[in-house]
Amino acid sequence: MKRLNKSSSILVGSAVATASVGLPMAAQCSEELFSTNDLASGYMLAEAETVKMPEGKCGEGKCGSMGKTKAPVAEGGKGEAAKMAEGKCGAGMKMGEGSCGADMGMAGMDMDEKGMVMNANSDTLPRDCKKISEDVSFTVKAGTAHATHNGTIFGFDSNEWNVKPCSRVTVRFINEDSVRHQWMMHGLPKYIYPEGMFHLEVNGPGERTGTFIVASDAKTMLVHCDISQHMQKGMKGQFKVNGGSGDLPSIPGISGSIYPDSYKRMKPSKK
Amino acid sequence: MIKRNVLATAVVVSMGLLTACENGSSLKTDSGKTISIPAYKEPPPTQKAEMGKVRMAEVCPETIDASWREKQVIEGVEISASKLCSPDNPFDIATFVKGTNNVSMATLMETQLSPDTVTKGDDLDGDGDPDVIRIRLEVAEINGRDPDLDTPFPAYDIAPGVQPGFWVFAPKTRGMVVANNETTYANPYIRMPSPAIRVEQGDKIELVLENTHYFPHTIHLHGVDHPYMQEDGSGNDGVPQTFPSPEGAMVQPGESFTYRFQPRQTGTMVYHCHVQTGTHILMGLIGMFIIEENRPNNWVQTFNVGDGHVRHSSVAIKEVYDREYDLQYIGSDKELHNIIQQYNDPRLIAEAMNQHYKLADRKPEYFTLNGKSFPYTIPESLVIVAPNEKVKLRMFNGGEDMLAMHTHGHKATITHYDGIEHNPSAQITRDIYSLMGAQRVDLELNTTNDGLHNYGEGVWLFHDHNEFGITTDSAMPGGNVSVIVYESFLTENGLPRVNGTDLTKFFTNEYYDRTYPVWGTLENADKFGIVDRNQ
Repeated sequence: MKRLNKSSSILVGSAVATASVGLPMAAQCSEELFSTNDLASGYMLAEAETVKMPEGKCGEGKCGSMGKTKAPVAEGGKGEAAKMAEGKCGAGMKMGEGSCGADMGMAGMDMDEKGMVMNANSDTLPRDCKKISEDVSFTVKAGTAHATHNGTIFGFDSNEWNVKPCSRVTVRFINEDSVRHQWMMHGLPKYIYPEGMFHLEVNGPGERTGTFIVASDAKTMLVHCDISQHMQKGMKGQFKVNGGSGDLPSIPGISGSIYPDSYKRMKPSKK
Repeated sequence: MIKRNVLATAVVVSMGLLTACENGSSLKTDSGKTISIPAYKEPPPTQKAEMGKVRMAEVCPETIDASWREKQVIEGVEISASKLCSPDNPFDIATFVKGTNNVSMATLMETQLSPDTVTKGDDLDGDGDPDVIRIRLEVAEINGRDPDLDTPFPAYDIAPGVQPGFWVFAPKTRGMVVANNETTYANPYIRMPSPAIRVEQGDKIELVLENTHYFPHTIHLHGVDHPYMQEDGSGNDGVPQTFPSPEGAMVQPGESFTYRFQPRQTGTMVYHCHVQTGTHILMGLIGMFIIEENRPNNWVQTFNVGDGHVRHSSVAIKEVYDREYDLQYIGSDKELHNIIQQYNDPRLIAEAMNQHYKLADRKPEYFTLNGKSFPYTIPESLVIVAPNEKVKLRMFNGGEDMLAMHTHGHKATITHYDGIEHNPSAQITRDIYSLMGAQRVDLELNTTNDGLHNYGEGVWLFHDHNEFGITTDSAMPGGNVSVIVYESFLTENGLPRVNGTDLTKFFTNEYYDRTYPVWGTLENADKFGIVDRNQ
């Protein structure tokens, strides 16, 4: 109950903040204002419809969802599939460090064999920001060691981050496991960040640091590790700008699930 | 006897339905008795059959880049034509052949692979191909539970709308688990079955299991030449109970473990998880591990995602065969595969799966060939051939149930049992290939029209002759049915050209959730339709 009170007070707080400073901007950014909705219901797609693929998209199977630009699925998918630097990396047969070095980066994406930063932005201001309000830095640790809540296996060392409108945020993401983890954020202004995403990915033990600038509206954005079942098993957080627009579901320690588990005693399965 | 039955019925009718028959009539029998006959009542009408959305466009989108089907060279890698409606991404093939460390960023970007998925280097024997191969596998869940969704996630259809939960080994990828931001469907690498892996005889292999899953897993190299222990004393066999060191005995969530081996022998072998095998293998953690003969300049295609057509066969295979296909069969029990959709809390999943699921009562409802059931086998698991060819089929029973695979129109020769060559002068040619759990046969399919090996061109079914194997949760046709189709019988879009019954209805969810009648597209469909009980 305490938790509920807390989140509703945040909601009220954000509403006040929006009313006093945010409204003039709301019209301009209405498209963005609604995207929290997309996330809560969407990524996603809580609708009963199992398949929500526009005609011709092939969301499953082997069919062309990967790179081919003609398959519309590609344009939806990866901002990273955007333009890329030509040039062969490491034609040699040397083993080890991997020959694709750090400067294979491209507009929107910086990738090497240890990980990637996608859609980093430390200069371009969202339309509703006249200037950067402040510089904020977070360190986020990720791994099984941070799965501190019952029923979780993976975790971040914190599950909520709060910043002021128009903050420039630098996230240092430390992966303490020996497998891939991600700090993937959805809901940033799409006119700056392809698909509205900012993304840090670390291929194993190690870290990545990236910077982005948030807009001004009160908004809660999804942060998760989008490796199969990592979010569901604990690696989920929320990023609130200007007090946020509420809580997302299933944030460990913060919010409940829409379809919670039943902990009733089990019976042996029978045919 | 007949008379007595009539009388008995008459008695029942006259006693039981007397009131209902007030407006009926009566019949005087030969023996002088009177039977009352009920009034006519029109039986309920046939339900209007609603076929629902035809999902052909999703599995065979017209937007797919037709150039993917062509024979081509990428990064110097020859990739054979694949006329399938849904061909493998040729950039994946090139990357798996060269290694993620040896292709350009441009090529890597056409895939969703991680830069360290497969690294290749060090030509140890100086014969022009890399011999130190590092392969990274992750463990992915398919059709699992999301506590905020009422549908499985990430979604994967074995047939229209049919989504059992699975676990698979998958090549290490990057980015999102879904195909794009607008769908809950998994990306193309997160799919059944665990992919066939190919290496060359004598390669120094580092097989890295990066356990991205929430349960412990291992890799056991079934039939693959590997030492029990590594040089540093750690283990290699993937069997938790007999592992020589605690490290790697079970690879815990978030941990990785490297298996090291240098296989001296060739053949179609197997890799699978050896933790709680009764459930983990059946959940999907099993695939083919193929060791190709050592040849000069022999760059092998490390992964065959989704199995099926091998678009870059090894040098030794190309010496003998015109084409090569990997065929993995699995039968799946609904009860087991539903568990990960019932619970999100891993403790509940572990309890349900390991304490309550009755393996001995197991009865499979789903039967897949390369991770799909008919009709979804058609877009990607056809065996496409031409006359007078030799085609290599690696047939693997990745499930528990006896297979009786039958090839219409062909009698193939079994060249290898469990990866070992059978005495060439005593090889057996037959039309049914029987496989118990984990068994493999290598088949030579000869398409010479001699009345023995082949009876001519056509669209020839191949399927399990256990009838349940060609069903999907008892709906027929489904299961592991696919087709050997000659190129002359293939449409431009990679589909078999047939004029039999309309296949459209099989591409709907309604057919497999059985709200659409089995003969619903016939002209006289009403005669065999589903009765409208609401009328």
